[in-house]
Amino acid sequence: MSVNYTSVQWNNQKKGYDKILWLGIFFTLACFVGFQLWLHPEITAETLIIRATAIIAFLLLHIILAIGPLARLNTKFLPLLYNRRHLGVSMFLIALIHGLFSIIQFHALGDTNAIVSVFTSNQNYQAISEFPFQTLGFFALIILFLMAATSHDFWLNNLSPRIWKTLHMGVYIAYGLLFLHVALGALQYEDQPVYWGILISGFTVISSLHLMAGIKETRRLQKDQTLLREGGFIEVCHTSEIPEDCAKTVFVEGENIAIFKYDGKLSAVHNVCKHQMGPLGEGRIVDGCITCPWHGYQYKPEDGQAPPPFTEKLKTYEVKILDEKVWVNPVPKEEGTFVEPAKLEKA
Amino acid sequence: MSKDEFYIGWQEEMPPSNKRFIKRILIGLFILIPLFLMYGVLFQKPFNHHQFEFGTLTELTGIYHDNPVPILEVSNEDSTAFILLVGFGKFGAEEIISDIEKEQGNLDGKEVTFAGTLIYGDGVTLLELTNQEDSYVSSKDLKTENVDEVEDLGEFEWYGEILDPKCYFGVMKPGEGKIHKSCAIRCLSGGIPPVMRVIPHYGSEYNYYLVRGKNGEKVNEEVLKYIGESIDYSATITQQNGWKVLNIDLESIKAERDYDLKDLDVLNRDDYE
Repeated sequence: MSVNYTSVQWNNQKKGYDKILWLGIFFTLACFVGFQLWLHPEITAETLIIRATAIIAFLLLHIILAIGPLARLNTKFLPLLYNRRHLGVSMFLIALIHGLFSIIQFHALGDTNAIVSVFTSNQNYQAISEFPFQTLGFFALIILFLMAATSHDFWLNNLSPRIWKTLHMGVYIAYGLLFLHVALGALQYEDQPVYWGILISGFTVISSLHLMAGIKETRRLQKDQTLLREGGFIEVCHTSEIPEDCAKTVFVEGENIAIFKYDGKLSAVHNVCKHQMGPLGEGRIVDGCITCPWHGYQYKPEDGQAPPPFTEKLKTYEVKILDEKVWVNPVPKEEGTFVEPAKLEKA
Repeated sequence: MSKDEFYIGWQEEMPPSNKRFIKRILIGLFILIPLFLMYGVLFQKPFNHHQFEFGTLTELTGIYHDNPVPILEVSNEDSTAFILLVGFGKFGAEEIISDIEKEQGNLDGKEVTFAGTLIYGDGVTLLELTNQEDSYVSSKDLKTENVDEVEDLGEFEWYGEILDPKCYFGVMKPGEGKIHKSCAIRCLSGGIPPVMRVIPHYGSEYNYYLVRGKNGEKVNEEVLKYIGESIDYSATITQQNGWKVLNIDLESIKAERDYDLKDLDVLNRDDYE
């Protein structure tokens, strides 16, 4: 969390994350260059750079896309999610080297402007096997640039979380373009089916993880439709089902609600973090505040307000306890409205 | 996970259980990535052994021929090589020669010395006039008149791939196929003479032909759309200044991707002679 913007708020975790990330990038680069020079010593330096950066960037993109659903399926992956934007910016820089070298190699020093040549040299747009695949990579690079350039929280706050999130969902369009860039480019040259196997395996892993995370969420939402209703309140669970300092989530009447148990009390807030729409109900009470599992944004459970000097506010909900059952009123209060917590009877 | 083990990114350290888990994932990745890369590189299409002597200028002396394209005929006691001249970057040599001739007069049929960068492979040599007009070193008239003969070798109906010879014979690897298509289009558009790579009916080594029009005219622009893919064509063959020339009938060109299933018998190579 931050009030003033700094380029990066470093801590030991972030430093470690970046060290391992760049160690991994240089390790991958060294392995690729080593294997190429060993098995194909005739390769030119330009081809080596273009292929190495392509492999590393595409591999990083797969890792970036896998982290989201993996963190939804297993919270142990959350440390990878926290600094995912560092992965994204690094991936863009590597993809940029690939793009620049390719444009210089294949289009510069000719009779046409190099950028214009990307779009005009090969115009077989109607033939799949001859499709000008470089244009697909060019547009993917533009999307990756927009995402990297707006990755800082400054842009998140100024664009609003919804617009920012929508913009950053562009990563899936970029992935689709790059999938086709590889399929209609390099794989039209290489004649071994093993490369199709690798490309399709990558797609299968990414789509399966998203599907599994989606199924998990859908099951939770469907289960919530069978809850008992009375006097505007909805029965959620037995009080013992909510662990101390944790939450139970419920999705009713279009409201995504997290009910937290802390200090012998229960409070309910909107289950979506104001920062990057993280699942607050998977967070914890830390230092008396609800703490988002994604990036650690905090809110007071009674009124949904971030502790001063922060200004984010959540919708709040009425909660009551009847016969050790937790009931919640899904009609939301204004963001930041204090709601008296329901008190648990001491055992 | 206990309360103490809840992960918060802005804290200095992550919980030990997260640390152990992430460590295992990273060890797995550091083992899998080299195996994956090895697998990928192993199955890669091999590169040719063609060479581009980047950074090294070589002086060559021989008889310069304007036709069918700029060629330098270089002889020693044992052999004669017909070296294609090309320009710097993605350009042919014609404009450079024309600029040199404004100063030095017509070079066709004279003994000329050029300094440039050698490109060679598969029995073919090219010289890049790297320093443009400054690639010209000297020239002198020959004692005997050079006779530029054109030998007619008959008709030819076959298939092959149109290449940009500068990249294919050494500047780029790969310098052929889909990946290189855009670059080859730029090179031919810039005046580098197109070359047809052909596998002979009986044999496994490539033959290379300069590509010209039916009447020997330049067809660089007309063949751009067929570069980097397998095409069928009809042509007559002539031989001039050490190079076989395909005088191609542009209307006969058909990309193999355009064939319908019913036409597949056309692709039976045994029908061709």
